[in-house]
Amino acid sequence: MSPPASSRFSGAARWTASALVAAAVGVVACSGARTEGLDARKVPENVRSDYEVFAHRCSKCHSLARPLTAGITDDQQWVMYVNRMRRQPGSGISYEDQERILRFFRWYAAELRLKEAAKRGAAAPSAAPERVPDAGADAAPPAPASAPPSDAGSRTTGGDG
Amino acid sequence: MVFGLRGGPVVAALIVVLAAVVALAAPARALERNFAGSAQLDYHFVPTTKDAKVFPRAIDGFTMEFAGKLAVDFSEKVSANTKVCYGCHGFEADMMYFDFRVADELNFRVGRFSPTFGAFNLRHDPANHRLSDKPLPYDMGRMLRLRQWNMSVLPSPFPDNGIEIDGAKYFGDSVQLDYAVYGVTGFKADSRPLDLDFKLSRNPLTYYVDNNARPTVGGRAALTVRLGDASDATLGASGMFGTYDPENKQTYLIYGADLSMRFDKTNIRVEYLARRTTFDTTDRTLFKYVVAEDRGDFFMKHGAYAEIEQALTPELDLIGRVDGMYRVGNIEAASELARRSSVLRYTIGTAYAIERGLRVKFSTELWDFSDREIVSGRNIDLGMHAALAGSF
Repeated sequence: MSPPASSRFSGAARWTASALVAAAVGVVACSGARTEGLDARKVPENVRSDYEVFAHRCSKCHSLARPLTAGITDDQQWVMYVNRMRRQPGSGISYEDQERILRFFRWYAAELRLKEAAKRGAAAPSAAPERVPDAGADAAPPAPASAPPSDAGSRTTGGDG
Repeated sequence: MVFGLRGGPVVAALIVVLAAVVALAAPARALERNFAGSAQLDYHFVPTTKDAKVFPRAIDGFTMEFAGKLAVDFSEKVSANTKVCYGCHGFEADMMYFDFRVADELNFRVGRFSPTFGAFNLRHDPANHRLSDKPLPYDMGRMLRLRQWNMSVLPSPFPDNGIEIDGAKYFGDSVQLDYAVYGVTGFKADSRPLDLDFKLSRNPLTYYVDNNARPTVGGRAALTVRLGDASDATLGASGMFGTYDPENKQTYLIYGADLSMRFDKTNIRVEYLARRTTFDTTDRTLFKYVVAEDRGDFFMKHGAYAEIEQALTPELDLIGRVDGMYRVGNIEAASELARRSSVLRYTIGTAYAIERGLRVKFSTELWDFSDREIVSGRNIDLGMHAALAGSF
């Protein structure tokens, strides 16, 4: 019978294990933990349910950080992007989901454009579909409900859908 | 990974190709480009394996995986994807293909890609997984005793050159049917082989061409059904068949089934796959056991896993997994495996989002081998992973 695992631990192994645990605790303790998505409470009411659809459907296969940090500010590019994702095997993204996800991304892209414009010190682009508070998508306080964006994400306009 | 890119000139050439794609994509307004990537640094610590650093036992130490992907939409119907990875094998081309989509139901993929097989590979890269390690049926370098087992059933990823026809058909908003059929170069080995040679399959020295001029063919079909607003289930079946020696005498057949379910913040995944591999029996002295006259020229390798992922908070996920493999059939005389050998692994882990796009992952694995290690007499091993994974 082999000796128990613990008796085989060398000094170096113990140090390595301790260092790993310490590093882990340190990383977690020093970080301001954040969800990978947005704080849904801070997403404007009129797109909040659309955000929920995005968060649920897209996190099935990948981190929400990937699309949120893609830096895409062009609505048409989002159409192609989401189309491509919908067609992934087993995505579970229906045409209706696609419309709602795109509605969220139109708001999100407008946010990014506003932030970019603010950085450049220029006026906010007029193409923004709705006015939302500045200071980052997930840091923005709830915005007053505005008219829902147009149906640019419909099946007929959805890329090659 | 037949491409097996290594060395400065090759890497430089790859960068030039990438730059050219970007440059070509720039002028036309119709082109939409998206660059994404991920990286994972994992420390694999195997305290119970005395000589863990002896390569045949395990890779004990840091492993780094990086992937950069460029997707270009030339039009609504034509797109291209290029993905370059850096990992244990150096730089590799994981994707370099064009998609021509006639409709949702019909797409032609041509180039280099991982042929559609199983559910695990659909999530592509390590940053999408909550554990550092792959499920055992798909494992590659992080598997303990990888040399004795000649790795897993289908070491993943397995990019290959070829063509795939795939598509998705929607039935209302609740049902999605996916399919894919393909012909690719396939795995390789030298003449008179006893098993697939995964090194040769990705070795650039033998050129990135088929070794037997006969493609491997396969396919997958999957049905996704929405069970509720926050729940769905996908049931899939896959298969792949080809010859792997230059004389086209030896074959491999890989088949599997998978079930993935999602109930709100809980993911449950179950997958089974098996590989039937024939081998050359001309020299019977090579084998550990007497070669049976009837059905003595192949072995079976089965693999399966079941895992559950539970989001405890928006930042913290808890993951549990049980996976294993079972090999039955004759084997090389020098092997530590027996006619029937098995391995079971129990894993528990956590993934914690410390920042958007950045996770730390910790997991502990208990390995239970049916065969005792020759040197230590041990059949139980312990492995621990600590990793930082990020995506952008």
